[in-house]
Amino acid sequence: MEFHLKKRARNDVKVEVVSLESKYPHNVMMYYYPPTDDIHIEEFEELALERLRLLRVLDRAGTKGLRLLSEDWKEYVSSELTREGLRSYLRLCSPGGGSAQGSKHESEIQTRRRDYLSHFILRLAYCRSEDLSRWFVAREMELFRYKFAALSSAEVKQFLEANDFSFQPLTESEKDEVKDGLYESTAGQSVSKIELLDFYKVPFTQVLDLVRGRRCYLKDGFAYVNTHDLVSVVGTKQQDIMELGLLASKGLIEEVEGDERISRMLKALHNSYTGKDYTVCRDAAVAIESLNQLSKTSMPLCMRMCHEHIRAQHHVKHGGRMQYGLFLKGIGVTLEDSIRFWREEFTKKMDADKFTRSYEYNIHHNYGKKGSMVNYSPYSCAKIIKEMAAPGDCHGCPYKSEDQASLKTKLASYGLSTSHIEEVMFFVSRGHYQIACGKYFMLTHNSNVEPTINHPNTYFEESQILMGNRQKRTTGAMPQKAKLRPDIKGHADRSMLNGDDDDELWKIAETQERAYQSQKDISEAFNDDLDLTEITY
Amino acid sequence: MSKQATDLETPVPQQTVVPAFDPTILPDMLPVYYRRLFPHLPFYRWLSYGLSEDGVFCNREISFTLHDDIYIRYLCFETQAELEKEICSRNPYKIDIGPVMHTRPTNFRIVPGGLTPVQRELVFDIDMTDYDEVRTCCSGAEVCLKCWKFMVLAARVLDLALREDFGFEHILWVFSGRRGIHCWVCDHQARHLDGRGRYAVAEYFNIVSYVNFMGSNSPRCQLGDRSHHSFKRALKIIEPLFEEIIIEDQNLFGTPKGVNKLLHMIHDDGARTEFEGYLQKSHEDGAHSRLIWESFIKYSNSMRTSTANVWSRKLKNIVQEVQLCLLYPRLDINVTRGFNHLLKSPFCIHPATGKVCVPFSVNAVAKFDPTTVPTITQLLHEINAYDDKTKSYMEAPEDKSRIKDHKKTSMFKGVVVFEEFLRKLERSNKERTNVLQF
Repeated sequence: MEFHLKKRARNDVKVEVVSLESKYPHNVMMYYYPPTDDIHIEEFEELALERLRLLRVLDRAGTKGLRLLSEDWKEYVSSELTREGLRSYLRLCSPGGGSAQGSKHESEIQTRRRDYLSHFILRLAYCRSEDLSRWFVAREMELFRYKFAALSSAEVKQFLEANDFSFQPLTESEKDEVKDGLYESTAGQSVSKIELLDFYKVPFTQVLDLVRGRRCYLKDGFAYVNTHDLVSVVGTKQQDIMELGLLASKGLIEEVEGDERISRMLKALHNSYTGKDYTVCRDAAVAIESLNQLSKTSMPLCMRMCHEHIRAQHHVKHGGRMQYGLFLKGIGVTLEDSIRFWREEFTKKMDADKFTRSYEYNIHHNYGKKGSMVNYSPYSCAKIIKEMAAPGDCHGCPYKSEDQASLKTKLASYGLSTSHIEEVMFFVSRGHYQIACGKYFMLTHNSNVEPTINHPNTYFEESQILMGNRQKRTTGAMPQKAKLRPDIKGHADRSMLNGDDDDELWKIAETQERAYQSQKDISEAFNDDLDLTEITY
Repeated sequence: MSKQATDLETPVPQQTVVPAFDPTILPDMLPVYYRRLFPHLPFYRWLSYGLSEDGVFCNREISFTLHDDIYIRYLCFETQAELEKEICSRNPYKIDIGPVMHTRPTNFRIVPGGLTPVQRELVFDIDMTDYDEVRTCCSGAEVCLKCWKFMVLAARVLDLALREDFGFEHILWVFSGRRGIHCWVCDHQARHLDGRGRYAVAEYFNIVSYVNFMGSNSPRCQLGDRSHHSFKRALKIIEPLFEEIIIEDQNLFGTPKGVNKLLHMIHDDGARTEFEGYLQKSHEDGAHSRLIWESFIKYSNSMRTSTANVWSRKLKNIVQEVQLCLLYPRLDINVTRGFNHLLKSPFCIHPATGKVCVPFSVNAVAKFDPTTVPTITQLLHEINAYDDKTKSYMEAPEDKSRIKDHKKTSMFKGVVVFEEFLRKLERSNKERTNVLQF
């Protein structure tokens, strides 16, 4: 990958439209080749921020629980994009965008160029860690699907040809052989449609998203997909390209960051997404004796239920230990206290020796004192919501995993009135788990401001601040983040990019990340393996 | 299956009385087991895959668990002889198999960027504990022939789907030594699946979700308007045994608690209350599962045909859904998803039960009896008995008799299954390389 940056001032940014059109022939592009254009540092920053705003809109749509490409989703995204001043991108994602003529056409090609460049710029910011990459790829894929869905069938054909996808549909007799399977297993199409549609036979590894959702017919390692599902094949390819590209960017990052202006910006960009880092708690220690009280006043439902489960059952499975254990670390329970807490509970059911052998290591490990020495971060809402609870588990997001009736009972037992419960349930039944959690926070804290809950540790901290037990920090990430929001809308003000006051946090994140990189695979294996000690033969 | 009743009450008498397994003398037995019985050569033939790919054997991570839970990771071996020598000198309590890395795993501290796994069998782990809420015969670590039927169905459903849908052929099933089963898919494509591929395959089989309902997790699964072919196939396997297992053996709905389990699987509040009322009217508490189940089928059938009712729309497949919820394979999905996950090797000795982790044939899984799997104590006993008997006839050189040692014991069958698996694997490996050469 070549990445030339213009360091000399140059006034002429006017680009020749003719060459651009051949360069960016389509609204949807495979991000194969890194751009080799010269651009101003200002434009570089501008494009980065623009892309970030774009991806954040998609992120917000996701956390609101809107289904990708559903009508609600489209409506929300288009109104948000308009609000953010990103209408030009919206046009890229709208049907009929490619056929426009004249001056409109030119502005559109300019947008295509911005789209292409900004993607590659953000790769540099998001290649640093597994978590960031995952977030980035997920958002980019949503954008890709959004754009692809807007293409007409002629444009799809044109796109496939231009990008060397050669598909041969099944012949009538081939289709006839597998027709029972096609009828049963092709999702989203009626039987009469299936008769008319063209089907393609591809290795199942090329349409993993369809396999995962059991949305197509599978036979002998091949998936049978119809024209509408070809987007999966293209999407899988696009995702492969992006993931490989991110790996490649990682190798280049040192060179690119030789320029301090760029390195600062890229790092600030990263912080502005991750928000607060709870890996290392810098607040006063929390005594475990106060946990019972805190669980009632300041813990979100997911953690309160873990806590109560442990107190009642004196045991909790691996997933719960990770979720609650890391949360406790994040609120300031020391390693020694943590071990004491778990030992006191677990030894009510097992002998101390077994506890030491099977569980203590795990706790040391979470605090980064054993094994891979990685100091693990407490789980965020996104991760907790994604966790699938199995029988006998207590972790996961209760708003999602609890049956509605028992959730109501639970809330009632926590002292919420019927009308309050209904307020919370309103959001639960629509799948807005984090908003429901925020609502619960408001109701239990008699607060008028509804906090945005993205992390259980945020919940805890906000609660403590409201109750006057903790000071809102004047330096550090939280206020920084709050300050960021307005900035990021107008790209003229770039004060956010000079994240000096954030150096400490950055240093922590950086060292941790480095350790994380080098030890990633090992730690993953270790992590997976932790429970082997707990008799899973 | 029919002999199960007698098996349970009176264990089949052995020719001579075999002492029960005693974990405290395991360290004394392991050296003999590894020297005389562990199938070193077939084990190597498996993990070397005919050395068809670079580093496929020598970059494989192996880990040993020694006495007192001392756990050594990142071991690797250059040759079969070295592996055998290490196993026999360290006498591990447990051997785990990890992925093939991009370089020697022993270098893990000095490789910049850490180790990267490049290939690994696609593995599945099914554990009896995940069935605890649907079995009444045993719980926790225990297993009997009644609950083994859950494993029988799980293995059959999974095996067939892997073969028919994904086209995999080289599937090794192994008893995990106590109460679960492991499945190793060793096809070239399966070994080279990336993280996303593993995730997708794992999710493909993850059809049951758990909803927390009044303090207990209750399984739910929805078939939708048209059922996916994999559901239909699974139902064909599950349906004929559903009543035998859930109704007769487990009598799962025979208590008010059990009836609640059934009710909780109805994913519509109104319909659930309706059916609950119907049940209360027609049955007393503690009525046999058979009656409850019959009422359930009757009621849902009658409701299904009535018009404009949730039963006819959302709940039209409820009977099948309940069957899948209870009997579809319950996988430990993280084991399958992880490229890096270590899994206990076949032919290990389970340190708590002393049983050998023997491979079994999925076609004969119903005949497999976890309660009579040979323990290390039994094997050593058998081998001694055999030696005593034949001593006068056979003064053959050591190396010759060594190869045959496992044939003198009840481990024989497991080794045969393993060798049959290897034979097929090696044949298709050869075909593969031949094709590549042209």
